[in-house]
Amino acid sequence: MQNLLLFIDKVSTWIGQFFSWLIVALTFMISWEVFSRYVLDSPHAWAFDVMSMMYGSLFMMAGAYTLSKNGHVRGDVLYGFFPPRLQAWLDLTLYILFFIPGVVALAYAGYGFAADSWAINEHSNVTADGPPIYPFKTILPIAGAFLLAQGLVEIVRCIVCIRQGEWPKRGDDVDEVDVAKLKEMVNVKDEDIAKLGELVAAKGNQK
Amino acid sequence: MKKEVWFGLTIMALVVLSAFVLLPAPADMSNGHLGLLMLALVVVAIMLGFPTAFTLMGMGMIFAWIAYRSSNPDLAVQQTLDLMVQRAFSVMSNDVLISIPLFVFMGYLIERANLIEKLFKSMHLAMARVPGSLAVATIVTCAIFATATGIVGAVVTLMGLLALPAMLRAGYSVQLSAGAITAGGCLGILIPPSVMLIVYGATAGVSVVKLYAGAFFPGIMLATLYVLYVIIIAKIKPSMAPPMSAEDRIVPLPAFAQVVSKDISNNVLPGLIGAIKGKRNAAVPMRDLLNHLVIALLPLLAVAAIMGTIYLKVTAPLPVETVEGVVAMGGELADSADAEEETSNVGGLAEPEADGLQTPPGSTEVAKAEAAPAAEPAKADAPGSASSAVTVAAETPATDAERLPAPLSFWIGLASCAVALALFYAYFSFARLEIFKMLLGSFFPLALMILAVLGTIVFGLATPTEAAAMGSLGGLLLAAAYRRLNYVVLRESVYLTAKTSAMVCWLFVGSSIFSAAFALLGGQEIINTWVLGMDLTPVQFMILAQVVIFLLGWPLEWTEIIVIFMPIFIPLLPHFGIDPLFFGLLVALNLQTAFLSPPVAMAAFYLKGVSPPHVTLNQIFAGMMPFMAIQVFAIVLLYMFPAIGMWLPEVLYK
Repeated sequence: MQNLLLFIDKVSTWIGQFFSWLIVALTFMISWEVFSRYVLDSPHAWAFDVMSMMYGSLFMMAGAYTLSKNGHVRGDVLYGFFPPRLQAWLDLTLYILFFIPGVVALAYAGYGFAADSWAINEHSNVTADGPPIYPFKTILPIAGAFLLAQGLVEIVRCIVCIRQGEWPKRGDDVDEVDVAKLKEMVNVKDEDIAKLGELVAAKGNQK
Repeated sequence: MKKEVWFGLTIMALVVLSAFVLLPAPADMSNGHLGLLMLALVVVAIMLGFPTAFTLMGMGMIFAWIAYRSSNPDLAVQQTLDLMVQRAFSVMSNDVLISIPLFVFMGYLIERANLIEKLFKSMHLAMARVPGSLAVATIVTCAIFATATGIVGAVVTLMGLLALPAMLRAGYSVQLSAGAITAGGCLGILIPPSVMLIVYGATAGVSVVKLYAGAFFPGIMLATLYVLYVIIIAKIKPSMAPPMSAEDRIVPLPAFAQVVSKDISNNVLPGLIGAIKGKRNAAVPMRDLLNHLVIALLPLLAVAAIMGTIYLKVTAPLPVETVEGVVAMGGELADSADAEEETSNVGGLAEPEADGLQTPPGSTEVAKAEAAPAAEPAKADAPGSASSAVTVAAETPATDAERLPAPLSFWIGLASCAVALALFYAYFSFARLEIFKMLLGSFFPLALMILAVLGTIVFGLATPTEAAAMGSLGGLLLAAAYRRLNYVVLRESVYLTAKTSAMVCWLFVGSSIFSAAFALLGGQEIINTWVLGMDLTPVQFMILAQVVIFLLGWPLEWTEIIVIFMPIFIPLLPHFGIDPLFFGLLVALNLQTAFLSPPVAMAAFYLKGVSPPHVTLNQIFAGMMPFMAIQVFAIVLLYMFPAIGMWLPEVLYK
């Protein structure tokens, strides 16, 4: 059981990180398209569709990854001050109340949506002779399924937390504000900050 | 229990209580009232701390089903599923939101290029003479860096590591230092290219291009107000921001410069030229001299190039704008700079390098934005000291003999540029050359990049998406140029981009399902009739809306406020004759305060995380207060003089 959960966690992360690289592809593709249009004077009709497909797949498939790293925005005015057990109870309730029904519905509806698209061999109608769009629509149920699986892992995390009184550790990942790394980047050490603290305190005493 | 918890619980209790008081008894509730109940519930649910995207999705689904069931119970489930999938897919193929990952990616790359340390040092030296120079440099650095990256947390943390120690050591008060860092760091979400404006544009259906054009001057205005405040404080209470000591101001000169400045002239041009011509200094390598001469001549060459381009544009048979606005703007911005710079600012509209030394970040941009529709031929009488430019200049008019004659205003512009350049070179000592070189390595790459991205968007040369992609490419090149581009940095930026975009875009998926349910229930109509029933004047409505948004800024984040509450406000705007674009600018300014309002201000916690233990959260909060007051003042100013925001979009997109 434990292993299965860790496995799902890893799969979500891996899938999310794999699709993350689309951003680099997207950057180069659009840059090339701009160059091609303005300099070579040969725009590509499919560029627009491909752009939005890349963007859509990128963020949809990163949804589960973001969830596994606790990256979805939450209102933490109160939440941050609650003891872990209460946090876990709240999360557990709301996962069952909102998350599971919502994501199940999304994945299920997405399946029908994609199936219809495959059935009629749908092509994009943004431009004449647009690229096929059914693979893109298939992303929707797939992303929903991964998200659901990750949601189940999160529910188990809540239960573990309720039992043990503290949150189980999450896998390491890069943080937006990683203080240690930023300190290293600008060559500031903890001793410097401590020294500064003494300086401030000394000045405070003089006054 | 901590006081923050009580604070949050109070808000929650208030919401629940008002829902009870305002709504009728469950028995005679209409669908519309259910909509309002849903709104109250969602605020409470968000405050419980569950990921907002899924709160919205789940609640939206439940209430959409209720709405459909009331009209046709048999179809309700299928209709709800269809609604959800349609909404989700429309976010997936949204052509506005697509620029979010690109701008975010650009931000992470620029952040990792590690320009901020150099930027702060060079700004600091360049502004040595301004009162409160360290705090002013902090705000300017924050503004530029935050604009380019858009990541509040990282900017505040980095400045907390760099600027806070510098300011405290120089004897600045803790409050002023903390306020300058937190307020400056938050500017990035207002000054374009910012993700917040894209989110607003996508929600409200306002063109992102117009929002960018509109938010530019209010952003600059806010930064300028901060700077003015710091300068005034430094003048009135020097104890809070003591002037820099003379030895801190000394810029170490390289060996050759010491020789040249002692033997020939301390002024760069005569010094360098003298050293090259006369062989008086055999000890000085010729290569250094030539290199520095080229660097010293850069402002001149830039002016020449810009003017040349403008001359070609202007004399081509096209309608032309006048320059008046330019001069006025330049003058306004220069208030903060000292007299010498003021001249160069007003005059040197097309001269970014010289301006950049002491003026707020945007002035360069003002210069460019204005200079483009304006005019400039007249290289012919470029200052005599600049032999190379004269040659360039002389050629341009010659090749275009059949072009239209340039209007008088261009010649005036040119003359003022020439005067500015002459002044610039008259005061251009070797110490200043060193500062200029530092700026060249930190300030100008960033400024140019922001300008290039914004300029192409605002002048309609590229869509925001294309400009964002080019910006990301620029970020890659910038990181490479500073030798910070390696696999680890790239990988981190890529993963962070994915997480941030997934966060924003999934929130959009949730909120679009939620707002669809709200509309289905008819909650919007109840609010409409209610607000219209209050018989408000437009001014009262504006104040009410801004106060509501301000209050929401406490418990909620800006993303949540925009995606949940803007769909409610936007339909009301036509009744009061308010432009959604203008409203968006006010909201963007207003949400700045959300970052600085205690006790939930994120910026304060980031700063506290890296400050010495003796700096307390209360001191930081106290320092943020004056800056919050300035923000409110800026909102009032923008409301009184809408032209601050609306002038540029109106000129560009009539």
